[in-house]
Amino acid sequence: MRRVLAYCGFLHGQGTTTPETGVDNSAVSPLAYDRLRLLWSEVEWPFEQGKLQQSAVDFHRVIEHVFRQVAVVPFRLLSVFDDLASLEKFAAEHVAGFVADLERLRDMVQMEAVVYVIAPRAIPNSDSGRAYLEQKAGMLRFAESHAATVREAIQQVSREVHIRQVKSGMRIFALVQRGNEARFRDMVGSVPLPDGVSRRVSGPWPAAEFLSSAVKMPEIAGQR
Amino acid sequence: MPSDFEPITLTGSAEDDISLLDIIDHVLNAGVVIHGSLVISVAGVDLVYLGLNVVLTSVETALRNLRLQDTNEKDTSEKNAMPEGR
Repeated sequence: MRRVLAYCGFLHGQGTTTPETGVDNSAVSPLAYDRLRLLWSEVEWPFEQGKLQQSAVDFHRVIEHVFRQVAVVPFRLLSVFDDLASLEKFAAEHVAGFVADLERLRDMVQMEAVVYVIAPRAIPNSDSGRAYLEQKAGMLRFAESHAATVREAIQQVSREVHIRQVKSGMRIFALVQRGNEARFRDMVGSVPLPDGVSRRVSGPWPAAEFLSSAVKMPEIAGQR
Repeated sequence: MPSDFEPITLTGSAEDDISLLDIIDHVLNAGVVIHGSLVISVAGVDLVYLGLNVVLTSVETALRNLRLQDTNEKDTSEKNAMPEGR
């Protein structure tokens, strides 16, 4: 069955280019609503088994093309609309929130630093479970403390910072002015890496972590 | 809207380029979410859930595990010399 796959929203601006093709070589079209532009493709749904990885890369390529030029609100890959009319209705209902977020996040990008604790190995005897968990909890506290130090180090270059605990460490999201990505990397890199902790920086990404909740998880009429 | 319970497989492994995992992680986990229902398996592990949000959370967990596996393997050979950067 055919479905409408939405890639991202951005503010109309002179000279912003969009890619011609997207997921599964489908034609990418802009839907215009006021100043908002939503890029979409008609795709076969659900994605063919084994093709999701390629679809993810194609999807990312479309968003990245626009994001290199202007701020975008990305959609998630597995979110599709029944048809173009549904997407148009969605745009009409949510244009104000999208425009407000895109204005607020104009010239901003999301940088990330993930701090992983190098997991201790369990000792295979009856007492090892508790010792393992205690050791792991201690390492997580260690990662938390390291994340707090990183947060302090990046404060100067970050408008906003969110930290979320993940299974084996902490994930730090920073809202950074476009052009300050290298400074962010340097600032994270300036924090000494303790033994037992691994750290990785990535970005720039669209500032998805900093979207308002109404835009990130929009209420849609008739939806559970 | 998708109510299709077709399985989808992400053929990830610890050997994959980490930035590919980053891309998959971001396109599945970051941004506007419209409802849906899917069955997804990641790296041969079946994740059977009904709500798209729950599926995405589980994908995050699976990807994190792949990353950790990758990190641990690198740490074994490089003694904590993880390069920073995308």
